[in-house]
Amino acid sequence: MQKILSVEHLEKYYGNKGNVTKAVDDVSFSLDKGEFIAIMGASGSGKTTLLNCISTIDTATAGHILINGQDITSLNSKKLARFRRDELGFIFQDFSLLDTLTAFENIALALSINNTPAGEIDDKVKGVAHQLMIDDILEKYPYQMSGGQKQRVAAARAIVTNPSLILADEPTGALDSKSARMLLESFEFLNKNLSATILMVTHDSFTASYCQRVLFLKDGKIFNEIDRGSDSRKQLFGRIIEVLSLLGGDNANVL
Amino acid sequence: MFYKLALKNARKSMKDYTIFFLTVAFGVCLFYMFNSLDAQTAMMQLNKSKYSMMQQLTKIISYISVFVAVILGFLIIYANRFLIKRRKKELGLYMTLGMERGKISRLLNLEMFLIALLALAAGLVAGVFLSQGLSVLTAKMFQTNLTSFRFVFSAGACRKTLLYFGIMFLIVLIFNAASVSRLKLIDLLTAGKKNETLKIRKLWISVVGFIAAVVCLVTAYVLIIQNGMMSLDWKFKSSIILGIAGTFLFFFSLSGFLLRSVQSNKRVYYKGLNMFILRQFNSKINTTFVSISIICLMLLITISTLSSGIGTASAIAQNINGLTPYDVSLSRYAKDTGSLQNTDMAEKLKSDGVDLSKYASDYVETNYYTLGVKFANLPFTEKEIADINQNDKMLIKDFKNSHINAITLSNCNHLAKMQGKKELVLKGNQFAIVGTIAKMEAPMNRFLQNGLTLSINWKKFQPVEKQVISMGLVVGDSSTDYAVLPDDAVKGCPVVTQVLCMNYKHGVTDSTFIKLLDSIYSKDAKGKTTPAYDSQVTKQQIIDESAGISITSSYVAIYVSLVFLIAGAAILALQQLSESSDNAERYSLLRKLGTDEKMLSHALFTQIGLYFLLPLLLAIVHSIVGISVVNHAIAYVGHYDITQSSVLTVLIFAVVYGGYFLATYFGSKGILRQKAENT
Repeated sequence: MQKILSVEHLEKYYGNKGNVTKAVDDVSFSLDKGEFIAIMGASGSGKTTLLNCISTIDTATAGHILINGQDITSLNSKKLARFRRDELGFIFQDFSLLDTLTAFENIALALSINNTPAGEIDDKVKGVAHQLMIDDILEKYPYQMSGGQKQRVAAARAIVTNPSLILADEPTGALDSKSARMLLESFEFLNKNLSATILMVTHDSFTASYCQRVLFLKDGKIFNEIDRGSDSRKQLFGRIIEVLSLLGGDNANVL
Repeated sequence: MFYKLALKNARKSMKDYTIFFLTVAFGVCLFYMFNSLDAQTAMMQLNKSKYSMMQQLTKIISYISVFVAVILGFLIIYANRFLIKRRKKELGLYMTLGMERGKISRLLNLEMFLIALLALAAGLVAGVFLSQGLSVLTAKMFQTNLTSFRFVFSAGACRKTLLYFGIMFLIVLIFNAASVSRLKLIDLLTAGKKNETLKIRKLWISVVGFIAAVVCLVTAYVLIIQNGMMSLDWKFKSSIILGIAGTFLFFFSLSGFLLRSVQSNKRVYYKGLNMFILRQFNSKINTTFVSISIICLMLLITISTLSSGIGTASAIAQNINGLTPYDVSLSRYAKDTGSLQNTDMAEKLKSDGVDLSKYASDYVETNYYTLGVKFANLPFTEKEIADINQNDKMLIKDFKNSHINAITLSNCNHLAKMQGKKELVLKGNQFAIVGTIAKMEAPMNRFLQNGLTLSINWKKFQPVEKQVISMGLVVGDSSTDYAVLPDDAVKGCPVVTQVLCMNYKHGVTDSTFIKLLDSIYSKDAKGKTTPAYDSQVTKQQIIDESAGISITSSYVAIYVSLVFLIAGAAILALQQLSESSDNAERYSLLRKLGTDEKMLSHALFTQIGLYFLLPLLLAIVHSIVGISVVNHAIAYVGHYDITQSSVLTVLIFAVVYGGYFLATYFGSKGILRQKAENT
């Protein structure tokens, strides 16, 4: 299997000498092509910081991150922007769609930024929209859509450029359970049929249960790791709950 | 604590206040400069006519200043509203902490007062220095020397500036209090989250609107060209109304139209961030088309006053040569309709104590004989009649009603010699037409070509040349053309006017010669005698007068147009800056998606550029039509070269408008970067 992402001894410290907060403390893991992985943890466990480091929005204090064999910790800001646009797709908790553009244009924008020839844009957008079942809302503006629709448009925008890695930060955080289910099924579809590699950060066990592998973070360190193997989604959900109860603390409420 | 907060806020939001500061300082500077003209004249050597010209100008400027103050007042209120809008969240925080409205408005007022005080001081300092330059310019335009250059500070202008701006700020304070009392806490706190309702118009509305706008504008143009801007008839009024309506409609429909037409070209639409830029533009112009239209009209006023004001000045300056062929003209007129008694004016002057040979290098007395015929049949083409405006009508009526006056060939040649012009040669039955009126040249030439003949004493005369000979006969005269006939042809014709034209000897000026004449013929002079002439005009008087008119028209034009320009540019700048904070989120999202900085800067530049450029472009189209009409009207004062004034206009625009554009661009960029660092 081709390695898409490998994180090696990543560290991210905040604060100064006297008072150091280790947000991410010596984390290592890797991700193969076509994997669908979730990172879970309580708030403050460092999962968003980890994602920010991987997504090149933040810089690491120490360690290396290799995406598609390229070490992103040694890139300058100009190269980072290009790398971000060529290799990564983003899905945010708050959808982050441009309110002035229609769904179609929001998806097309990602292609425009990538300098895709205008002739190909139409087909690509329509193709991905069909796969995510948002054909009929393409001409709508974000304020005319439901949250679930918005997030699927955001997913379409993330996948349309065919990135090596899709990063999702609490993608179901702002959705009701039905919309969340639909979105996650879309993710599953993208992962299985288009072999998209997805890294998702979430604190929701239900969301995480759609993945093949779940990493648990606690105080900036990897606490546990579950591989789905041949389990069903329900079984995985049960195992996640077990780990969370081990983690304890403020995750007790999910039980 | 309270003052500390205000002081800190002022320092913190200095960036937001930049445009406000610049505009107030600019306004104060202009205001002081033009109101201190009076004091500046103190260091100039001005004669009586120039002095009264300056007095007139000062008066006009002070009237305009009231108008300027009103415009600047509105501008300050607008700028202040922008600042409140920009700080809604902060004000909401104060309110939740329990600060009363009164205290909040006091806080805001204190901040504004600090900034305004700084701007006032900066503007006054700049004004005091720049006004020195203005006085040098005034002296140059008057062609006088500065007696001694000294640094002039006008306490009067300073007091006036302080008073006017003081009143303005007072009004702004009241507005501030009113707008703070209207604020609702819930709106303040949710200001950032509130979704903007996007007004998306149907395609056909945009298209119909655009077509209607073009129709309105074209009709307005046609009407104003027909009217010639000379009378306030229905054509003029409807042209103005249609023009304004057309401008509003144009901007109302433009963005939709632009969007649709670019959308149909996928290659352009999907190139880089074009799609984003256009949508940005479209989303905002729907809400701001009113202000854009008003700015467009303000720019129109700026461009047209500036170029036509300066144009008038240069037209007058160029026309002056034809009006001043000699140093002095002394004229006697026939009383009633009888013939003038032929007296030797030089002899009469000599007997009164003025020996012309002491003062004149050359002089000649010319008799003007009336031939008893009029220019009534002067042929005009239909196009020329269609082009005739109200002012020309008077000119032509007078011209047609005037009798043809003639001078003798020998007189004419003497005059030509004094001007250094070629002498005329006439055969026994020939005549010539001389004159300097540009408007009459074409019809008069046609008149001559059609075979105009003059019959005097039963003798027919043919024109020697089929065109008017350009030559001025009397200083300051531009009312009619004259005929030149062989010396013996006019025998027996009644003399209506007698003019003595002379050139000064070296070293003689108005202040010696005219003063002498005045001392002899003034009403309270000892041993009062009847004057040897009815009127006197000197070259210097004409030059002074035209310099006065030039200065007045160009200064008034510059003053008014600069104020309009600043106002328009400031409104645009404030609008764009207030949008930048909304845009910041969109731009930071683009950055997250991997757009590189160059692309982002380019998008921002284009977006702000569109806002600045579009009203300017329409205003330029408007003013090309307007100026060409005004040009036509000015042509009767004299020919004028549009390039000089256009270059100056473009220069002023580039500096002021371009300056505001750059300030806006970099300001917005700063806001975007700030936001990016915060996230």
